[in-house]
Amino acid sequence: MLNLTPEELKEKYQPKPLQVVETERQMVGVMFSPCGKSMVSGGYDGLLHRWDLTQEEITEQDPIAGHQGWIQGCDFHPSSSRVFSGDSWGRLACYDYLQAKPEPIWAVESAHDGWLRDVAVSPDGTLVASCGRDQQVRLWATADGRKLHQMSGHEVDVYQVGFHPDGQYLVSADAHGVVRKWDVKTGQEAGEFDAGELFSVVRLQDVGGVHAMTFSGDGKLLLVGGTRPKNGGNVQGAPLVLVFDWETRKQIQVLEMGPTSDVYVRDIEFHPDGFLMVATSGNPGAGKLHFQRLEDEKPFFTSSGFSNCHAISLHADGERLAVTMTSKGSNGNGRPLDKDGNYLGNSSPIHLFGRPKEEKEASGT
Amino acid sequence: MQHPLCQPREHLLSRRQLLGQSGTALAAGLGIGALGGLVQPLVAEELQKKQRQVLFIWIDGGMSQLESWDPKPGTQFGGPFRSIPTSLPGVHVSELMPKTSKLMHLLAVDRGVHTQDNSHSAGVPRIQRGDPKDRGVTYPYFGSAVSKLIGPGESGLPAYVWVKPGSGGFQYKDAGFLGPKYGSLAIGEGQAPENLLLPDSISASADDTRNALRRAANERYAKNRRPQVNEAHEYVFQTARSLMRQRELFQEADPKDVARYGDTPLGRDMLLGRRMLEAGVTFVKVNSYGWDTHGDNFNGHASLMPRFDQAFSAIVEDLDERGMLDHVLVIAMSEFGRTPRINGHIGRDHWPEAWSIAMTGRGVRKGTVIGKTNALGTFVDSEEHDIGDFFHTWFHALGIDSKEVEYDNDGQPLPIAHDDCKPIRELLVS
Repeated sequence: MLNLTPEELKEKYQPKPLQVVETERQMVGVMFSPCGKSMVSGGYDGLLHRWDLTQEEITEQDPIAGHQGWIQGCDFHPSSSRVFSGDSWGRLACYDYLQAKPEPIWAVESAHDGWLRDVAVSPDGTLVASCGRDQQVRLWATADGRKLHQMSGHEVDVYQVGFHPDGQYLVSADAHGVVRKWDVKTGQEAGEFDAGELFSVVRLQDVGGVHAMTFSGDGKLLLVGGTRPKNGGNVQGAPLVLVFDWETRKQIQVLEMGPTSDVYVRDIEFHPDGFLMVATSGNPGAGKLHFQRLEDEKPFFTSSGFSNCHAISLHADGERLAVTMTSKGSNGNGRPLDKDGNYLGNSSPIHLFGRPKEEKEASGT
Repeated sequence: MQHPLCQPREHLLSRRQLLGQSGTALAAGLGIGALGGLVQPLVAEELQKKQRQVLFIWIDGGMSQLESWDPKPGTQFGGPFRSIPTSLPGVHVSELMPKTSKLMHLLAVDRGVHTQDNSHSAGVPRIQRGDPKDRGVTYPYFGSAVSKLIGPGESGLPAYVWVKPGSGGFQYKDAGFLGPKYGSLAIGEGQAPENLLLPDSISASADDTRNALRRAANERYAKNRRPQVNEAHEYVFQTARSLMRQRELFQEADPKDVARYGDTPLGRDMLLGRRMLEAGVTFVKVNSYGWDTHGDNFNGHASLMPRFDQAFSAIVEDLDERGMLDHVLVIAMSEFGRTPRINGHIGRDHWPEAWSIAMTGRGVRKGTVIGKTNALGTFVDSEEHDIGDFFHTWFHALGIDSKEVEYDNDGQPLPIAHDDCKPIRELLVS
C-alpha cells in the first residue's frame, strides 16, 4: 500500500457512502464492537445507543440506560461482550452489550467528581482507565469495577486516556496539552509529552487541549489531536495532529489538517493499512474526514460536503467506517421551530461508508 | 492590606456625617454641574445627597444561562454539567458556580429575562441604554444615566469608571444626549491613565502656572463653540487631576486579595472595581470579554465560569462584610443568553428569548429567585421581563422614581426608562 501514489490510494480507499443511521438526539462518539456485531454511540441524552449489525438491515436496539448527562467515554472489552461507559456526571459502568436489556454488571456512581471525559480498556482486557474534570486518572478492574490506582498530577481537566499497545503504560492528556505517561503496574508517572501547541489562554478562557489521541499499531508513535488556538469564545484555530516518538517523547511531526475555520481534530484512528483517518469539526457545518500517510505532506483524501465530524470507527472487517456528524444547518441565533411551534434541536446522524473495492468485488461476483 | 486612602468603616462614617452637609459642593467645585438637565432640580438635589453606588458587571458576548443561573441538567439542551444546591433552599445553580452557590441568600436572580436583540451590535448598546422608545435621540448607557442622576458624590473621583481589558481612555459615546462629560473613564488593563503622575521636574507652583495658561487657552478656544465641548474638556481634565491625587488606587493589590479574586483578568479588574467603590466612585463597570461561545461552549464555560464565580463571589462577600451592600447596587449580566440548541461546533448561539440576570445590594430583595423557564429552558414560562423593566427596577433600587424623574434634553422631557415598562416589585425591598 505504501508504494501507491496518492491518486491510487484515493481510488482504493475513498469512502463510499453506504447508509445514514439517523439519531433523534446528538451523540458524542461512535464505536463498532470488536466482534463486529454491534455499533454503539453515547448520547447527549445519557443513553448508550445500540445497533444490531447482524441482520440484513441495521436495527436499532433498546438503548442502555442508567447514565446521566452526556456519555463521553466508551470502550469495549477486546474479547468479551462487555462495554464500559462513563458519563458527565461521573458514573462509570460496565454492561453486556449483546443482551436484549442490559443491566449493569457493575457501576461506580462517583468514579469522578463530575465530567468523566474518557474511558479506555487495556489490550489484555483486565483494566479500564478513566479520566475527568476532577483532574484525576483512575484505573479499575474490568472484572468487578474495583479501583486499582489513582494517578494525580494533572492540574486541569483530563480530556483523553489511552493504553499503549504493549499494555504496560497508560497515557493521559489534558486541557493544557500536557500528556503524561503512567506505569500501569505501579500507577507512577513515567514521563511527559509536551503538546502545549494545542493550548492557549485567550482573554479569560483556556482554549484547546488534547481532544483526540491514538497510537500507531506498532506502538512507536503517539498521536494527539486538537487545534492551534487562534481565539476563544467562538473557538477558531488550525486543526492539528502532533506526532511523538514514543521512546524519546519528542515531537517529530505536525500535521495541519485544514484552515482555522475547521478548528478541532476530534478523532484519530490508524487504519491497519498504515494511514491515518482524522475527523475534524469546526464552525457549524465545517467538518471533514481526512486520510493521510505520515510521510505525505497532505491527505490523499479529504471529504467534501460533510458536516461537523465528531468521531470515527473502523469496523473489524476493515471495510466499513462509521462517522458521527452533526445535522446540517445546526446553528443560528433565531428561533428554529417546527410546524407545531416546537423548538428544534440537532441530531447526530451516523454516516456509514464502505470502500470502492467492495463495490468492484461485489459487482464481479 | 489596609486601603491607603481610608478605612472602609471610617469611610462609611465619614459619608454619613457628610450627608447633612452640602453634598453637591465638591461636584460644583469640579465644574460638573450635575444638577442641570433634570426636569425637577429639587428632586435631583435630594437624589444626589444619598450615598448610592453601582457595580455593573458586564459579561460581554453572552454568558450561558444554562451553564450558570438556570441549569436544566439531564434535559435535551441541558449540556453535560450537573446542578448544585445553593444557600437558598430549593434553588440550584450550575456546578460551575460553587462559590456563588453559597451566597445565593444574598442575591436576587430573574430567570425570566426576555429581550429583543439577538446580535451583539444591536444588543450591547440597546441593552445598556435600557432599550427605550425611539424618540430620535441616543439614550445614555446605564452608567452615564446614573452618573447624571446621582452625580460623582464627594469622592472627587469620576462618577463613571469602566474597568476593562484592553485600552483605556475617556469614552464619551456612552453618554448619548446627556453630553460627553457623562461618559466613562475607562481604566484599561488595570493601569492608571498615562502620565498620571506629575513629573518630579515640575513643582507645584509651576503646575499652577501652566494650568492658568491651559485655562486661558481653553476659554479662548471655547468662545465660539458649544459650551458642552469645553465643559467636557474641563471635566476630563479635572477627572485626571482627581485621579492624580488618588493614585494609590492603582498600587499593586494585596496578594491575598488577588488569590481570593483569582489571578485572572476578571479577578484583577473586579478587585480594582472594589477599590474604586471603596474610594467612592458612583458607578463602576467591570467588563469581561470573550463569552461569545458559538464554539466549544462547554469547555469554554468550564474554563470561564469558575473564574467568574471566584471574582463575583469574592466581591459580593467583600461588599457584604464591609456593609457596602446597603448602598451599592450590584448587577451581573450580558447582552443576551445563549441558545438551548447546541450547534455542530458544540457551541451555543445568541438567545435573547429566555435568560437570566443576577443582582444584589441596595434596594434589592436578597435571597430571591423569580421568573421561570420551561422544562427545556427554551422559553420563559412566567411573566417576561425586558431590559426596560430592569432599568425601572434598578432606578427604584437606587431611590429614583423612574416614573416621575425625567431627563431634560434642551427642553425636551424624556423618560429615564421605557414608558411601557415598570419596576419588577418582586426584586425590590420596597
